[in-house]
Amino acid sequence: MKNIFKGLFIIWLFVLGSCSTELLDPVPKTALGELQAFDNKARIEGQVNGMYAMVKSGNFLAGRFQVYNDIRAENFLPKSTNLVTGYSTWNHSVVSSTNEVQNLWGAVYADINAINIFLEGLDTKWTAGELEGIITEAEYKQYKSEAHSLRAISYFSMLQLYAQPYAKNNGASPGLPLRLRAYKTGDENDMARSTVAEVYTQILKDLNDAEGLAIDKYSTDLLNTARIHKNTIIAFKTRVYLHMNDFAKVQTEAAKIVSAAAPFVASTGVPFALTPIFGDIWKAPYTSKESILSMPFTATNLAGGQNSLAHYNHPLSSESYYLNESTGTAFAMLNAEDARKKLFATGDVNKKTVYFSGKFKEFTVQTDYAPVIRYAEVLLNYSEAIVRGGNAVNQKAVDLLNAVRTRSFATGAYTVDGFASVDAFKKAILDERSMEFLSEGIRNMDLLRTLSTIPGKPGAPAAVEPTSPAYIWPIPTTELNINKLMTGN
Amino acid sequence: MKKLTLFLVCILIVGIQIVNAQVKSISGAVTSKEDGVSIPGVSVLVKGTTLGTVTDIDGKYILGVPADAKVLVFSFIGMKNMEVEIGDQSTINLSMETDVFSVDEVVVVGYGVQQKRDVTGSISSVKGEDIKLMPVQSFDQALQGKAAGVMITMPNGVLNNPPVIRVRGFNSITSSSYPLIVVDGVPVFTGDVSSNSAASNALGDINPADILSMDVLKDASATAIYGSRAANGVILITTKRGTAGKVKVEYDGFFGYTEPYRIFEMMNADQYVEHKNRALSNNPTALTSNFFIPTDANGDPINTNWADEVYQTGFQQSHSLSVSGATAATSYYLSLGYLDQEGMIKKNTYNRKNARLNLEHKVTKYLKIGANLTITNSLNAAPNTGSLAGQAFSTAGAGRLAFVLAPNLAPYKNDGTYNTAGSAIGNMGQPVANYGYYNPVAIMDLNSYTAENDRVLANLYATLEPIKGLFLKTAFGIDNLGVESISFLTGLTGDAYSSNGAATNYFNRLNRWTWSNTANYDFTVADKLNLGVLVGEEEQYTEGNNWNGSKTNVADPFFTTYQGSWVTAGMGGGGQYENYFISYFGRLNANWDKKYYIEGSIRRDGFSGLAEGMKYGTFGGASAMWNISNEDFIKDGVIGETFSDLRLKASFGKVGNMSGIGSYASMFLYGSGVYGAVPTWVFTQAGNPDLQWETSNKYDIGLSFGLLKDRIQVDLNWFNNDINDLILTVPQSPSKGVPGNSIPMNIGSMYNKGIELTLTSYNFSKGDFTWTTNFNISTVKNEVTELAPGVTEIVGVTSGLETTSRTMVGYPVGNIFGVETHGVDPQTGRRIFLLASGKEITYSHENPAASRWQYLDGSGNAPAPVLNVDGKVLGSPIPTMYGGLDNTFTYKNFDMALNLTYAMGFEIYNGSKAGLRDQRWWNNTVEVYETAWRAAGDITSIPKPVFNDNVSNGSTMVISENVEKGDYLKVRNVSLGYTFKKLPGVLEISRVRVYASIFNAYVFTGYSGSDPEVSANGNSNLTPGVDRNTVPQARTYSFGVNVSF
Repeated sequence: MKNIFKGLFIIWLFVLGSCSTELLDPVPKTALGELQAFDNKARIEGQVNGMYAMVKSGNFLAGRFQVYNDIRAENFLPKSTNLVTGYSTWNHSVVSSTNEVQNLWGAVYADINAINIFLEGLDTKWTAGELEGIITEAEYKQYKSEAHSLRAISYFSMLQLYAQPYAKNNGASPGLPLRLRAYKTGDENDMARSTVAEVYTQILKDLNDAEGLAIDKYSTDLLNTARIHKNTIIAFKTRVYLHMNDFAKVQTEAAKIVSAAAPFVASTGVPFALTPIFGDIWKAPYTSKESILSMPFTATNLAGGQNSLAHYNHPLSSESYYLNESTGTAFAMLNAEDARKKLFATGDVNKKTVYFSGKFKEFTVQTDYAPVIRYAEVLLNYSEAIVRGGNAVNQKAVDLLNAVRTRSFATGAYTVDGFASVDAFKKAILDERSMEFLSEGIRNMDLLRTLSTIPGKPGAPAAVEPTSPAYIWPIPTTELNINKLMTGN
Repeated sequence: MKKLTLFLVCILIVGIQIVNAQVKSISGAVTSKEDGVSIPGVSVLVKGTTLGTVTDIDGKYILGVPADAKVLVFSFIGMKNMEVEIGDQSTINLSMETDVFSVDEVVVVGYGVQQKRDVTGSISSVKGEDIKLMPVQSFDQALQGKAAGVMITMPNGVLNNPPVIRVRGFNSITSSSYPLIVVDGVPVFTGDVSSNSAASNALGDINPADILSMDVLKDASATAIYGSRAANGVILITTKRGTAGKVKVEYDGFFGYTEPYRIFEMMNADQYVEHKNRALSNNPTALTSNFFIPTDANGDPINTNWADEVYQTGFQQSHSLSVSGATAATSYYLSLGYLDQEGMIKKNTYNRKNARLNLEHKVTKYLKIGANLTITNSLNAAPNTGSLAGQAFSTAGAGRLAFVLAPNLAPYKNDGTYNTAGSAIGNMGQPVANYGYYNPVAIMDLNSYTAENDRVLANLYATLEPIKGLFLKTAFGIDNLGVESISFLTGLTGDAYSSNGAATNYFNRLNRWTWSNTANYDFTVADKLNLGVLVGEEEQYTEGNNWNGSKTNVADPFFTTYQGSWVTAGMGGGGQYENYFISYFGRLNANWDKKYYIEGSIRRDGFSGLAEGMKYGTFGGASAMWNISNEDFIKDGVIGETFSDLRLKASFGKVGNMSGIGSYASMFLYGSGVYGAVPTWVFTQAGNPDLQWETSNKYDIGLSFGLLKDRIQVDLNWFNNDINDLILTVPQSPSKGVPGNSIPMNIGSMYNKGIELTLTSYNFSKGDFTWTTNFNISTVKNEVTELAPGVTEIVGVTSGLETTSRTMVGYPVGNIFGVETHGVDPQTGRRIFLLASGKEITYSHENPAASRWQYLDGSGNAPAPVLNVDGKVLGSPIPTMYGGLDNTFTYKNFDMALNLTYAMGFEIYNGSKAGLRDQRWWNNTVEVYETAWRAAGDITSIPKPVFNDNVSNGSTMVISENVEKGDYLKVRNVSLGYTFKKLPGVLEISRVRVYASIFNAYVFTGYSGSDPEVSANGNSNLTPGVDRNTVPQARTYSFGVNVSF
């Protein structure tokens, strides 16, 4: 009997010592451990492109951000009442648990964290000298510049939907939680909202830092459109300052990339210019000198199901939005001879012919680039800033406006004398923007930054006044549930 | 290799035979008292020793016994044990009596077997015979109501959709609560392994007809031997073996019909048009014109019952043939199975072909080798039923299309083509521009989803018995499963309209090997101390490897497969993972004279998914039992006369749950993709290097007793399961931007406690009539006691769209959460909602946005209810009481069985009801047509219909109006059979039974949805009890025959 126990005991001891250690430490084959993420230049470059890919989320700049900013305003009517494709946004009936309210917030903050993780990793490694021989200082600066710019674009975009316009009270309203460091663990769930002004300060800090570090230009048109360089940053600053009603700064920035006289072009860096024929902007390869920043797509890298601009703007899509023809809309204002109207695509809703902007043509494989900012906007930002800043209509401002307008509508040129007042000019330029940027997600931003009422539209509730709770989106439930310092709108 | 050598060493050490002087030879024959037939395989043992033999094929035995041997014990499964004084006899012939009230069955425990009365842990056993004739796809579907503490929920009537299994309640929150399933010693793959709409339960690959027994291990004592995977319970499946005797050939076959039941009664076209136009008149600006009834090609008005287009009566057939037997050296069981089922949903089919060979051969007196081998091919096909987890809001979901579509639309246009407009159904001139939903006839005809499993489940083993009672076993098992999921979507309409067709092939290969080595020694010391020792080691390696390709924009509609010609090829994708377990375990059980029992087991598991330093965990359990009825002072007393069996037992222990730990959960990872045409790296996983197993501290106290000579057998158990270190995927503030907005952490705790009662009663067994009752009832109280710091609730979302559930401290897991409503205001016909402020408000959809919400007291505009602020817990979907009641009757050659299951004390979120009452163009039930509010004073639960109103009915947020009690009593199976015995004839048929049965015959419930046994979210812990757009359950009529040769 003793022997038996002895035998069993020996087995037990041997068995204990026989573990296969390599099987206990498997290495993933399809993902990379974080320690290897900065091992070589290609990976670092991959991470830079990764930040763009995050910004290009289907819920953000790949389409939905632009779509929401279009359909909140008056230019569009829905084919479908599907709540998944923005109907609540169109209808001004979003609540804090509405999908788009939660999803866009989540997507943009996910990209902000990806940017912060990259920035933190890059700076730590660079400071420690671990990137020596892997990337040059110029590359280090360029990557940093792109990261800061993307973070600024992200925060700026979120402000447009989740916070009151700066103009309301010079940014004293609650803004966003400013997340500026990398999050990988369970800490700091709670963070209060900074004010709108504080968020704008951060956006400008990021953009100014980025401008100082930025590359002048890339080697290809594709890179110049799909990635950020110095002039991209300046262009974006004109938008940011305009939203802050800082017209002097808009002019300072615009002057860096707009020549003194027509034809207006950027004389340093990437030579921005208007594309002579409006329709050419919307054709492959989508990398004209006018397309300052666009989100690129290929057949194997699409926005995904119900996210692309074509899904919302193409006649063949059953969930697209067609043009509202009511008075005051872009459709109604556009002259029949206008190239922008001629670009319209036609479709059929309930046996009635309806129109679509026609900018996004690829429906079967939705590879139309998604525009983020175009040179035409810089010109119009500049023009508006001159007039509103100087409180007078001058020739330069009218020239800038005409540059955009007459490209598409040759006989439509304005004259200085034609404007009875500054307000008349302001209206004209906002109308011009409504027509020019149809389907590009600018209209809602324009209405809010000018504290205008969001006009009513057939089938939807009446106009939304700036005092209405529906003027901006609510803060998503998912954030309010966990972030105990968060406050609703 | 090292381990094999070890075993050889061990054999040498223990190979010293204990030799007893055999001075006397006894022989004899054993027959059955009932029919005088000889019984092979009866164990004949000298009492108090391990000396013994078994009867041969003719029921004969010869046994050498020592001079001092006094008593021989004869035992055989299903027969009463008999003890015979040896005295001077050298021939002992015996006729054994059938033990109708058998409690002396063998129960399978982890890495061994025990006599039922010696089991100190809590185990429920179900015989394969009890389930094999049910028209199900997998054995787990048939387990409902069969075992105390085991709750089975069939999510709906989609074929081979895995049922939700909960052993003693929900044991986890964000990990899985699904038990470990071990088939013949090999932990197998479980869950839905399909990658598309054709559900494929991995357990469907095991033919229920091959199953001998299912043993459910529940408490810490029984499960601890499975260590880190034991917390959710363990179900041990043992397949059939050949038994001694002449070759047994059996054939089981049935055919049957299946149909949906309790489908909704929807408005017909006349009612629809009348009702919707009335709703329109209450909101005239919503549409430009009224609805009407178009005419078909023959000029008849269109009136489509969409349920008829989706559901069908499906035909099913099943055939199983087995050949089994055993010689002195070899036992074998060979079977073939064929199952072919059409579902109640058109295009939903299940086809399984399988073969099994179980073989055991005694090579020498000391060495036995054996194999269990199954090969299965199963083909699942289904349309998009909208009824699998994540599909609830699919616009292609058949369950939803069956009721949402308007009856004044037809599946075909008058020219005979499908009625479609782009991706959606065509509007036939109705004022709705775009219906959005698909034409089910078109997509069910043109699209297809299949998932085909090829499975090899095999186990080879060798057992050495160097001395009597010591078994050294090495077993190597594999579970190799390849699943090919193929989908084709037409470009003519539906999901792939915009991409002009899509084909996706998805291949998933799951391979696992398990190698276990055990030593098991049972021996008796000093006549009375019975000891059993088990030590073992086990390794398990699992590899998952899947990849897929998809193509869009078909070159010609002629092509309907991925291999055809397409214009655009997608990027494809896939995943790879591997993980590994290394485990050491041991068990010691001891009893003194079958009166006082103790047992202890321990397991140390190492798992590759955890970080360095955290890889190992140790688990264990202990139990004690007092068999009171074996005490002499009881045996001869009054208690002994009343109780034929009386045992008291208790156990405690700590076990783990690792189902929530992914293969790489501890790591911080970057994933790669593309931006335009260039590669990217993005931070994709915030890992947790501190991650550990969830631990369950389980306590159990049990009382088992038999009355009236075991005519009535009762098992009563109290259990308490304290779960700590729950792995919560702790929600992070979305503004932190952590990938997935969550990080897995060991935080949180919860408990389940309850009582289980099992009662088996042989009510009547005299003469021609027998009546047996099996009854079980279980209660479970579940409460979450702690979530992560700062996390007061975890939100559960149904199919990514509807926030239906919330898990909160102080409540059971997965509560239904929504806004309370107070019926319909009889004066205005408006739904009354309750704000957190306690104020009642009403909703008027036709008003401008600012004035839609009004205070009921007339004090003007009110704020809209916000789920986060005004929501509250509306019910718990976890039944607090459930069980089953089986009655079996035989009269002469007739037999009848009635199986009931029930669940009580829970609520269901009837989300489908929101859809059925939605006042967009969606069709509504006849109830809405008949009882919606029309005039002041109407008392009704359905508000004034206002066209486009999707708030009052609960489509935009969960409202208490749509939360209902789920209590039900279900006639799960009822069958009637007739047996022809001793048939004359050339075929030597010994027995033929014919039967008819109805599966899911009826449900008694106050629930207004189609069935309270439902789970739109599959196996989810966070969102149980949600009924959202799923298809109903199926009722199946079958007619079968069992033939034994």
